[in-house]
Amino acid sequence: MTESVFGKISVLVVDDSAYMRHLLMTLLQAVGVGEVHLAINGEEAWELLNTKEPDIVITDAAMVPGDGFMFAKRLRSLRGRALGMIPIIMVSGHTDLESVERARDIGITEFLSKPISARGLYERLIQVIDRPRTFVETPTYRGPDRRRRDTPFKGEDRRGSVALL
Amino acid sequence: MEQRNITSRLAGRDAVTGETPPDVRFIRVPSIAERKLGADYVAPMRLDPRVLDQMQSTIRTLETKYAEALSAQISMLQLLVEPSAKGDTEARSRLYSLSHDMRGLAGTFGFPLVGRFADSLCRYIEHCDDEDWRDGSVLRFHVDAIRDAIDNPGTDPAITMETLNALERLIKATRGNRKMAG
Repeated sequence: MTESVFGKISVLVVDDSAYMRHLLMTLLQAVGVGEVHLAINGEEAWELLNTKEPDIVITDAAMVPGDGFMFAKRLRSLRGRALGMIPIIMVSGHTDLESVERARDIGITEFLSKPISARGLYERLIQVIDRPRTFVETPTYRGPDRRRRDTPFKGEDRRGSVALL
Repeated sequence: MEQRNITSRLAGRDAVTGETPPDVRFIRVPSIAERKLGADYVAPMRLDPRVLDQMQSTIRTLETKYAEALSAQISMLQLLVEPSAKGDTEARSRLYSLSHDMRGLAGTFGFPLVGRFADSLCRYIEHCDDEDWRDGSVLRFHVDAIRDAIDNPGTDPAITMETLNALERLIKATRGNRKMAG
């Protein structure tokens, strides 16, 4: 089952490091991903989206011009298009709390810290392919639900109604 | 644990109920697996050890090539320190780019020490001002530590930790001295 799903998906890899692009592409091919598209920065990735509509985006955080945060923000701003809700896996060497929270608040779906491992990548792929989180749209945030744990919290629970896409 | 009742509804305006503020929408997105496989979809998807093996073997295949490239990159780092200290902005940018690559890749390919020193170097450069670059000593010590890590991969982890701490102390001291002088 696993192989057949991977064979049917396409992934866009955005990274300014040629080695990292090659590593990610080779690993995705080892998993059996049907199509892998490559871009060297956010600007090129944005251009590529005119002709390709991937199922998943894997992006580096630090790139010039157009870093991963800016690219993700542009993607999330696409209202009314499925592309605006695409799962985004951010790969980054900046693993401090501030960077992770910045990624979360921009609507990143999963965060993968460098150096990456085969298992880390594989687990995140399964997560975004099979266990999508509810998508949230508010005036200040657009992205997957940032609450991952179903624990009690203060304030109004607005998750009572969920639209089905 | 609090129980949450979620009622799935059709997409569009109808989905927003009276209790939900109109400016907040929660949308259940079907999984990619469900969309792609249709009736063949069987949840949940699990990690397949054979696929993981395949991925790990791919990394091992790339390791030898990476080791060769890494050695060349470290030699390049050593060459870039002097022009960077003399104000060559292109050399500075190249030096950061190479260490950034090492930070991200060395650990994956079995050079965790190189990765850690490169990470420390990157963090230092990210907060470097012109005076730090011109001083060059912290850069030089980092690059030497990276060279040493690849030449002596079996170094005692305690020594590595001590070197990292020493580099951290050196950064603080260099910046502290300048602050006092300024």
